[in-house]
Amino acid sequence: MSNGDLRVGRILRASTRGFVVGCEVMQPDIPAFGSFVRVESQTTGSVRDLYGLIYDVSIEDDLFVRHFIGAGIPENVVRDQRENRQVPIEVSVLAVGTRQDTGSGMLVRHCLPPQPPVTLDWLYQCRVEEVRAFTSRFDYFRLVLDARDVPTDELLAVSLRAAAMARPEHERETFLVEAGRELARLLAGDPVRLEGVLRRLRYA
Amino acid sequence: MVRHRNGAFAGMMVRHRNGAFAGMSAREEAWVTLELSRLTEQVQAMGEEFAARQRRRADLTALARQWLSEYADQGEALRHPARAARAAIPTGEPLDAAGPLPTTPERFTVVAADGAQISPDPHGIAQYYIVNIGSLVYRHGSDALPQAHSQPTLGYTEADMYENGQPVAGQLLDLRRDLAELTCLADHCVSEAPGPTVALVDGTLILWTLKDTPPADQERRVGDYVHQLERVRRAGAVIAAFVSRPRRGEVTRLLHLAHVGGDAKRFDEEPNPLERLPDRVVFGSLPASARSALFVSPNDINHRYYAPEGHTVHFFYLNLAAEGQRPTIARVEVPAWVAEAPDRLALVHGAIVAQARVTGDYPYALARADELAFVSGPEREALEGMVTKALLRAGVMTTLSPKQYYKTLTRRGRRKHRI
Repeated sequence: MSNGDLRVGRILRASTRGFVVGCEVMQPDIPAFGSFVRVESQTTGSVRDLYGLIYDVSIEDDLFVRHFIGAGIPENVVRDQRENRQVPIEVSVLAVGTRQDTGSGMLVRHCLPPQPPVTLDWLYQCRVEEVRAFTSRFDYFRLVLDARDVPTDELLAVSLRAAAMARPEHERETFLVEAGRELARLLAGDPVRLEGVLRRLRYA
Repeated sequence: MVRHRNGAFAGMMVRHRNGAFAGMSAREEAWVTLELSRLTEQVQAMGEEFAARQRRRADLTALARQWLSEYADQGEALRHPARAARAAIPTGEPLDAAGPLPTTPERFTVVAADGAQISPDPHGIAQYYIVNIGSLVYRHGSDALPQAHSQPTLGYTEADMYENGQPVAGQLLDLRRDLAELTCLADHCVSEAPGPTVALVDGTLILWTLKDTPPADQERRVGDYVHQLERVRRAGAVIAAFVSRPRRGEVTRLLHLAHVGGDAKRFDEEPNPLERLPDRVVFGSLPASARSALFVSPNDINHRYYAPEGHTVHFFYLNLAAEGQRPTIARVEVPAWVAEAPDRLALVHGAIVAQARVTGDYPYALARADELAFVSGPEREALEGMVTKALLRAGVMTTLSPKQYYKTLTRRGRRKHRI
């Protein structure tokens, strides 16, 4: 979560269900699992921004780095490897919403975007107020719960804790209780899973 | 076509000639046209031949080491005939001397540079070349972040592409890359704060590729090169060229010369049993981190152009393996003003070993300089895209040659089984 336009990285590949961005190790703040992110839409139409949740951060394998594992490495080699060598980090994002120009104002919708972002677009970490606005409703839960190959339960729990932290302290508990109620409604047929999500939400 | 400093190729044009896969995607690597089953017997025979060769080499190595010890004190007598015999020229050190690892200053800097080039492709969309120089400044005795640099130069004008009517490719481009590497090192040395600094270049200090060019051309080119060596010297730094797994057999020629009593006639007439034995094998007996005796390179270019300017190229062999490890012998070349100053020579020796200790048995800064210089296949493709767009924007319609066009069709996604 950020109070400014913190760039996570540039889009490497994308679909309407999600996108992958590449970034270097020494970004000022390595994006975290469960963070809300935004990419500006370059396509024509009313969609201005696409919103997503980071569900995976992976560091690519590198033979040269592997060579040093287990060896006593001088500190300047560690710094060279980390800061100069651009060992790529790939950040996977699940698309969860858009911000559209309705003509009379901006509307945040919890849905898949009509078109994916364009390669090399910048992905930004959402500002606190964006996170608050996006999580004022819980319609995006269904998109997360239905996502494949995503640690959905953990992702929801961590992102909801992050959304709670974006609110004033006295609102956090209420926010989490409301989110829990919505989850109870969506997962009414799967009490074991619900229990797991709520447990994670409590301790995330 | 992309050619790297030491002859490694990247990109599609040459892949079928030498089997280099650099720059190919994982998917492309998985597709092969080589009929491996037809090579099975040949590969097996090759293994047996190599094993037999290794046994023969062991005997020759023992003989070479015996001669090295036997004629160790005959350096002075051999000095004159050695040059005529194109054998390593002894210096004042016994031939079998082994210099232990000297102490190095607590803090010193190693600057390494390496280069790669994309040669003009006659079948490509446009005639141009790229020389890319990678360099790393590494400060020992400090946690400072090493400085990494990559400097590409595009050659495309008539003046760039032709020299005395000859197209700039092959050896001519190699020479431009060599000069660019050394200039990069000299620039770093000049801008360094005072303090012990070692400039390291991959390969050799001697412009061997000039041996077939006219003398006037040789003089001019070596002059440019020596000028950069001089800049390094005046900056107060030292310089060395590093050759990994060297193949030269100059010391073994010297041993043959010693065995025939320094007699040039007998040297020419009697077969040299050590003829195919590389020097590095002889020096495999060096203790860990120790260097061999110093020798002077017998190359004509060295004596004609480097020597008069005070840069006569000397060399020694160095065992970079750590204690208890199998020997890793490298060749190190230094100009006379380094070879003849014990403190400078000790700095080169110690710095190279310190660098090799970072990675294991190869200077870290050179490995990184190589990485910074390397132009991968996808980068080459991206550059081609930029060039195509720039040409179209300028109103120039261009295409690949028919040959190259069909290669692009046939060399991707071959209809073969994956291995």
